Amino acid sequence: MNLYIEAIGFGVIAASSIALGAMGFTLQFGLTNVLNVGYGATMSFGAIVAYAAHLTGMSIWLALICGGIATSGLTLLSAKTLLRVYAKRGAALFEMAMVTFGIALIVEYAIASITENNTFSLTIAIEHTHALGPIRFTDVQLALVILAVVVFILLDGFLRLTKVGTALRATAVDPDLARASGIATGRIVTIAWLLSGFLCGLAGGVFTIDILTVNAFTGDSLLSLVIVAALMGTAGSVRGAALAALLLGIATQLVSAAGASGYASAVAYGVLAVVLLARPKSVQGGLVADRVQITV
Amino acid sequence: MSAFVSISLVYLAIYTLSAWSLNLQYGYAGIINFGWIVFQSIGAYVAATTALGSPTSGGFQTYIFGARLGFPLPLIMGTLAGAALALLLGLIILTRRIRPDFQAIIMLVVAIIAAEVVSTNTALFNGANGLSNVPQPFNGVMHLSYNNYQWFFVAFSFALCIIVYFGLEWICRSSWGRALRAMREDDILASHVGINVQALRIVVFVIGGAIAGFSGALLVEFLGTWSPDAWSFVESFVVFVSVYVGGRANNRGAIIGAFLVPVVFGTMPSFLPEFGYPGLSANLEWLVIAALWLTTFYLRPAGILPEGRFIARRTRAREQAPVMPPIAKQGSVA
Repeated sequence: MNLYIEAIGFGVIAASSIALGAMGFTLQFGLTNVLNVGYGATMSFGAIVAYAAHLTGMSIWLALICGGIATSGLTLLSAKTLLRVYAKRGAALFEMAMVTFGIALIVEYAIASITENNTFSLTIAIEHTHALGPIRFTDVQLALVILAVVVFILLDGFLRLTKVGTALRATAVDPDLARASGIATGRIVTIAWLLSGFLCGLAGGVFTIDILTVNAFTGDSLLSLVIVAALMGTAGSVRGAALAALLLGIATQLVSAAGASGYASAVAYGVLAVVLLARPKSVQGGLVADRVQITV
Repeated sequence: MSAFVSISLVYLAIYTLSAWSLNLQYGYAGIINFGWIVFQSIGAYVAATTALGSPTSGGFQTYIFGARLGFPLPLIMGTLAGAALALLLGLIILTRRIRPDFQAIIMLVVAIIAAEVVSTNTALFNGANGLSNVPQPFNGVMHLSYNNYQWFFVAFSFALCIIVYFGLEWICRSSWGRALRAMREDDILASHVGINVQALRIVVFVIGGAIAGFSGALLVEFLGTWSPDAWSFVESFVVFVSVYVGGRANNRGAIIGAFLVPVVFGTMPSFLPEFGYPGLSANLEWLVIAALWLTTFYLRPAGILPEGRFIARRTRAREQAPVMPPIAKQGSVA
């Protein structure tokens, strides 16, 4: 029994990086309708930048912020240059996803070429461990969970209480109506890309601190869980993404604890496939004609 | 040198079959099969296990339904396996109205789950190590040298490609092919003119799956090995790119796409002399393929050979026949 309670503890820790990623993903996806398959590659980018910043002697937390800012810049750059060009040419939803896939391959293999396919490992001194019943947290793990919770509260507050947040939600629901009522939607979309990129870099960094290794493909192992969480929690809903991430983190760790670690993520994907097939409301649309507007 | 050319040509044949399969599903029918590689891989696995014979106890590989069938049967079994999987997944996934990019995600997820299950469960197809020592067709009978056998396989796979090509062209130019394109352009309108969109979608998915399974079976007969490393989900992206580069809904374009993307940029660099650190050339390969995709999609969104204008033979005859004598221009002297 204790094994399973411990697994729940590990699940909460794993959920911190999934939740950060999923919140960024859902924010951007809900607003622009571009299914950003390149999110995994940019997470790797954030993780690598954070690692490099940590190498220069920066504290790991400051390095994490650095990774977030750098990823934010990269995301905005690729959105405003490449994605915008293809969106203006009238690329369909699926073609936009293919474009982000292409960008992802370029980012990932550029990193792999520069780092010569190396995997770097990270060492962080652990000072204290805390026990909560049978669950043991190290200082660092506790900090990661707190970071994710704080970011969630800030983001949710930002979306619900501030003017910019309200404008963001309005643009996500109906960009034309939002523009007609005086919202500078272009600026709102820029803000969404920046925020999403920042969270993406943060998620990559947090994931690296959690598993203590980083290479060009680190983000890929997290990407599928992030997409699963974002889509399960309804595209655009930060609360839904956070809750789904928590459930997924715990579920995958429970499956591992039950002795089927090879199937841990297969379970998560299975859940997603079922959710997508069983909840046609949130994913409905023309099979062929795209009736969803892309705003980049 | 001879081996380089012959191996590249066999790859060209197999990737052309792959591109045709996806072209039928995506180019003609608009089904976004982002898990395409699963259909190729099940064809390869089934062909391998039906050619290998029953697994010996204590042997180095374990797999299900082992049998030692004579030459054409493994290929046929692989084709049927691809079709059966397509029927199963088509009935589950394609019968619902789902946003196209979400449909792509579901297919992608299917591919990831399949890879994970096959690599974890060694009882299925020998897990992550994969199957090897698959016997090559006719090799025991004909006693050819290595090089000659390679060239024999080139001729064999090209002959099969030609058969598939004419079959596909016949399908795509028929009224059934026109129904496919109508469904791709607007499925609601197509159903209003009496096309059974659901059934059409599943049937075309099954045909595409069969060709995919066939290409996998041919590939495993040539390579002799098949493992999860060979079919990561990124491979589906490569086939999509070759369809886009060659031209959607154009079977001749698909040949060009298959030649350019997976053969020239995907396979040939592995014959180059080693340079830099190990793995650098593979990295550059992916960079080039991604860049190729982004540039062609920008410069020639419809591909190198865009979709042709299809006109039914009867309509064309009517267009060409002089229905009325040309009206004399005013003022002209009769």
